[in-house]
Amino acid sequence: MKKQNNIKTKPIERKIEVKNMKIEILGTGCSKCKKTKEVIEKILRENGIEAEVVKVDDFEKILNYGVMVTPAVVIDGEVKLAGKIPDEKEILKWITK
Amino acid sequence: MTENVKCGCSAANIAIFPCVGASNVGQLSNKIAIELDKKEIGNLMCTVGIGARAPGLMKSAEASDRIIVIDGCPVSCASKTLELAGFKVDRHIVISELGIKKTKDRDLKDDEVSEALEKTLEILLSE
Repeated sequence: MKKQNNIKTKPIERKIEVKNMKIEILGTGCSKCKKTKEVIEKILRENGIEAEVVKVDDFEKILNYGVMVTPAVVIDGEVKLAGKIPDEKEILKWITK
Repeated sequence: MTENVKCGCSAANIAIFPCVGASNVGQLSNKIAIELDKKEIGNLMCTVGIGARAPGLMKSAEASDRIIVIDGCPVSCASKTLELAGFKVDRHIVISELGIKKTKDRDLKDDEVSEALEKTLEILLSE
């Protein structure tokens, strides 16, 4: 006799989580740090790219990245630049890789 | 803590890398670098971080307008570390060439600190 399989299976739900890029701007609020944030936000806006932009002014966090001069830019945990304002081409390269 | 990270807004961005070797002159290199940082002649940075190619340190060094290296002795480990990482050393100071004999004593002597600092400042300020 053929056994009846009464187990109802649910379709497996697969959630694809698209994680936003996290851009940290390390600095103490000096003019170069402010300019760095502005220029990054401008490039993100112009290219329709969403990212979480965070300003980090905690010295302990800055030092833990090994950064000795600010402003610095960290994207998804990777230090991209320190000590100067990034140029627009550089930013575009980082965020579209 | 606030003195540990320098803002890049200052006119000159000078990095100072000491060797911090296991001898009197190695330890003196660190002490002199700390004193130069306090006098705002440059920013003390971690030489060993360059050896490790730590991204934060590498980017901080890349952002420097000038690099000063203070080695304890002519083995010049700090200078070679920077050069091997692709940096140009603008000023190289060797403590044992300032009239201080290299020994295994790691406790710094006040007179040697003063002498080394005075001579280092003389060299840097004469440029």
